[in-house]
Amino acid sequence: MSLAELETQLRPVFLAALAGDAAAYRLFLDTISARLRGYLRQMLLRVGRSEASEAEDVLQETLLALHISRHTYDPASPVTAWAHAIARYKLVDHLRRSGRHAANLPLDDEVYQLAAPDGAAPDARLDLESAMQALPERTRVLIDRVKIQGASIAEAANAEGMTETAAKVAIHRGLKAMARFLTKRGTRPT
Amino acid sequence: MQTDDLISLMTASHRPVDTGWLKRATWIAALATLAATVALVLLTLGQRPDLGSAWMTLPVVAKALLGASVATIALVLFQRSLRPGLKPARLLPLVAIPVLLVAAGAVLTLAQAPAEQWSALVFGRYWRACLIAVPLYALCPLVVLLIVARSGAPMNGRLTGACAGLASAGLAAVAYSVHCPDDTVPFLATWYTLAIMIVTGLGALAFPRLIRW
Repeated sequence: MSLAELETQLRPVFLAALAGDAAAYRLFLDTISARLRGYLRQMLLRVGRSEASEAEDVLQETLLALHISRHTYDPASPVTAWAHAIARYKLVDHLRRSGRHAANLPLDDEVYQLAAPDGAAPDARLDLESAMQALPERTRVLIDRVKIQGASIAEAANAEGMTETAAKVAIHRGLKAMARFLTKRGTRPT
Repeated sequence: MQTDDLISLMTASHRPVDTGWLKRATWIAALATLAATVALVLLTLGQRPDLGSAWMTLPVVAKALLGASVATIALVLFQRSLRPGLKPARLLPLVAIPVLLVAAGAVLTLAQAPAEQWSALVFGRYWRACLIAVPLYALCPLVVLLIVARSGAPMNGRLTGACAGLASAGLAAVAYSVHCPDDTVPFLATWYTLAIMIVTGLGALAFPRLIRW
């Protein structure tokens, strides 16, 4: 699918998501993450990194950043360009952290144009797990319920004796804290 | 954690999103810090003695207009620089328009004045005060814009910092114009412009480290 087609398909979906439609949000994330996975793999290949788990780590970090920065999307601009800019920022950040100069990164607009979507998610390395360890106990339990046991927010909230809104807020804060943890890892190679 | 799990978490905690918030926060921050800076100038330096009769004269209006137009352009770019995928850097040269207009006015003034007056026209009485006061007062809006910047997703910290610096200096220039007793266009073109450049440089240097995300 060309980038223009993807944009036509994804823009209304994302606008619906911004208005609060969770199913549209899920569709957006599934679609854009397949595209970004292809993009990130190719970019990492270009600098001689072929491990799929590394691309998956950067993808997860990118998705977290997309999620937390939803309010920075300008509804008049292409959503694919917005997602691409965030992925590129996180990729440059990742390469810099692992001791590679981002200046060596070749121009990538073309890669993004042509990147084939890749829906098969390999295992990530441990980045996100270590970020989760930094969360408060209660948030972690809540996240585990939703993530591993596939519980709905309502069920998880109930089990923890919280309201659904409080659970949503807690998970959102948890995701934010995880993103902050990943940003603050500093410049040491991971 | 699997990417699919992460997406489930993000979907589960998803709520409606307000994409206009950044823009509103930027303008509210600018107006609030402008009011605060004017109050600060009045409290610390006091108004110029003749403010009542002078505020409608061309030089005073020119000072405020220079500051306000630089700040307005810079704030638009600042706000856009916090949104990934937009390319506001292309519009940065627009800021030069008010600065160049004032510079042209300065050259015109000097050309019409005898050479022995040039030094008085450029240096005025208090050029050092202007050069110190405008950057100092600009710190107030600069810090608030830093906080706004941290709630966005700046792609280019240097650009965001430069825009914040330009906007803060513009706001500080407006505020300082209620005190500044030097009313020549060459003075304005030299010292206000220099002060604006100082704050712009400060923003461009300081922001990148502070707004990483």
